[in-house]
Amino acid sequence: MKAGEPEEFIVDGRRLDGRKVDELRPLKIEAGVLKRADGSAYVEWGGNKVLAACYGPKEIHPRHEANPKRAVLRTYYSMAPFSVYERKRPGPDRRSMEISKVTRQALESVVFTHLYPMTAIDVFIEILQAQAGTRCAGITAASVALADAGIPMRDLVPACAAGKVGGHIVLDLFDIEDNYGEADLPVAIVPRTGEVCLMQMDGNLTQEEFEQAFELAVKGCMQVYEKQKEALKKAYEKRGEEQ
Amino acid sequence: MSARRFVIPGEEVARGRVKLGEGVYREGDRVYAAVMGLLDTSRGSVRVISLVGRYYPKVGDFVIGTVTGTIYETAWSVDISSPYTAILNSSDFHREVDPFRIPLAKVMKPGTVIYAYVREVAPTKGVYLTMKQRGCRIVKGGRLVEISPAKVPRVIGRKRSMLGMLARETGCRILVGQNGMVWVSCRSTAMEDLVERALRKIEEEAHTSGLTDRIKEMIVRERERV
Repeated sequence: MKAGEPEEFIVDGRRLDGRKVDELRPLKIEAGVLKRADGSAYVEWGGNKVLAACYGPKEIHPRHEANPKRAVLRTYYSMAPFSVYERKRPGPDRRSMEISKVTRQALESVVFTHLYPMTAIDVFIEILQAQAGTRCAGITAASVALADAGIPMRDLVPACAAGKVGGHIVLDLFDIEDNYGEADLPVAIVPRTGEVCLMQMDGNLTQEEFEQAFELAVKGCMQVYEKQKEALKKAYEKRGEEQ
Repeated sequence: MSARRFVIPGEEVARGRVKLGEGVYREGDRVYAAVMGLLDTSRGSVRVISLVGRYYPKVGDFVIGTVTGTIYETAWSVDISSPYTAILNSSDFHREVDPFRIPLAKVMKPGTVIYAYVREVAPTKGVYLTMKQRGCRIVKGGRLVEISPAKVPRVIGRKRSMLGMLARETGCRILVGQNGMVWVSCRSTAMEDLVERALRKIEEEAHTSGLTDRIKEMIVRERERV
């Protein structure tokens, strides 16, 4: 047993933070929070605080990166130095580059990039505070920011993780479960069609466990999706009330 | 104005054989919204009117642009505040110019503001302007106000009602480009300030009704102090 590892992850059907096994952390999404960006979103998901902003479509620089058939989607995932317990060295690293890439691929599957050839769409995801599951929170925020910028897309992309801790399959791991648990399975879907546009796995699951975890993650995504829709509607109504 | 439903990307907006406008896409038998905005089915087609977004050049639009620092041998490059920079060939200039006798930079310097017509949008998104259309010219003096391209129809108003009222009540000359650039020229800068404030108000309250009357009230009230 590693130092700091809890003896039991689930006591009387409740997890260490009081949640049930199939319960999300409290989730709050707000759209259109930044004035300078074309689109933006802020997500608070348990202890995660994530800000996403989007610019575009705009002229692409450097020009040789332009694609004459479609817009180029560029994503930047970055963690603030103060987002974790021990100061994180700022700037891109192996992990954030990987997450930028999987986020880009997840979003590329819904954005109608062919409408805007020779342009770039930039998405910035800033993790202000992390408590595990930031790539899911990042994708969730980024897709709301894209919609807020008026960029045509097939659907929003909600993301949510499931995993295995202390032998139980649970939804939406938080930091202790993530650090000491047995497996983590982040999933992003296109809700309307059920297509999977991100799936990664850390740790090991048997086939049955995997199927159970996947199903749970998809259910989590659907809950996240409802919050995303609510956030966009609220942003629209707010604009109306200000008059 | 009829009540239009607010929709978000992925929401089903129609089924079966309907004509598709902007902001929607078809998958199988169903039609879904591609952008967030207001659903409009009034013109025999299904479309979603986006409330935000940039200007995408369309043939037939009049735009206001600024000549950029890149001037070619026989063409100007013009910033039309869009993802695509436009080209104005010297042969499309409203006067005869011979670029081999007089360098184009001497005809129009970088920073010159023009009111021009979108003549062609190539599949590769090359945008070509022309000034050989009615009303096209170099605009001098005054100021440029940039508003959201999505709000341009509101600034013009139905049958130009809003724009006509603004010009009449302030005595200013106003040109509106489809790309969201508005040129305002008045006798005093204070009056230009007032028009700019009015434009900002229109932009913010674009979706409310009775807006023309309220803007008129505001101008009548404030022009006394100008």
